[in-house]
Amino acid sequence: MSNKKSDPPGLAIWLLQRLYRVNNNEALTGDLIEEYRKRRSRGWFWKQVLIAIATGVLAGMSRHWPHVCYAMTGAALAVFAGKILFDARAFVPWWILPWPWSMLVFDLSPSALLSLAALPVLAAGLQVNGVFRRASLLRTWIIGLPLLALSHYLLEAFRLPLVLPRTNLAVIVPAVCSFVVQFFVLLVSSWLGCRSPRHAAPVKMRTVS
Amino acid sequence: MELMVLLALIRLGDDAYGVPISKELLHLTGREVALGSVYAALERLEEKSLVVSTLGEPTPERGGRAKRYFHATAAGLHAVKKTRTALTTLWSGVPMLEGERT
Repeated sequence: MSNKKSDPPGLAIWLLQRLYRVNNNEALTGDLIEEYRKRRSRGWFWKQVLIAIATGVLAGMSRHWPHVCYAMTGAALAVFAGKILFDARAFVPWWILPWPWSMLVFDLSPSALLSLAALPVLAAGLQVNGVFRRASLLRTWIIGLPLLALSHYLLEAFRLPLVLPRTNLAVIVPAVCSFVVQFFVLLVSSWLGCRSPRHAAPVKMRTVS
Repeated sequence: MELMVLLALIRLGDDAYGVPISKELLHLTGREVALGSVYAALERLEEKSLVVSTLGEPTPERGGRAKRYFHATAAGLHAVKKTRTALTTLWSGVPMLEGERT
């Protein structure tokens, strides 16, 4: 007969298994179960799980710092230089293309310019880590194009009319939302586009004969 | 944090895994350290080759999950000794701290 009190919260364990992506996942889970069965509370177990997930996320971000820097740079550019990027469409000759390519180029060119502007940061970071690959940059750029365009349309579609008087909040809140969305979109595109630094082979130095 | 975890691990000897390391830190510092933070520090120490880990046997008390025991390497012991020398040098000769020496 199972003693329900001795069973830790199943949802917490499930979250820990899915979100705490480090080598010692099983050992940590076992330790938490062991302590829980020594009369710890469910609240204690949840607190430990949330702290473990947070430390795992932070450790992952510090391990993949080129991607985080790329995402922060791109998101900052989208917020502070977004208008410039949209106005720069005038220099892209989208009108000479037949429909629907003209529409695609028109819609995707701000995203393309944004991710291109931030790519040098990613390239520098990957070079420092010794895992620079031109293919990784190209993949990141291509994957980022539709994601950035989609995020822009979603931000426009779900822009709620702010009934607040014209204060700083009316400017800050949309900017913060835009920054957060663009940050995660660029992070996902660079994560998908680049291989993990742990598994990539180091770049061979070319010798001059 | 890494230094404290490494010191606790060395003090525990062969029985060093997450739970006793956390309890040793609580006993020595008076501060409860989350197990996630302990394992994050152990992971960094292992990446730097200052500790190595071995897997124990799974037990039903742990939901069928094995313990991971950690041991300091020679490099880890050397790093701790070097840090102690550096800290002792930094600590001495500071007038504000001289009176607090035990």
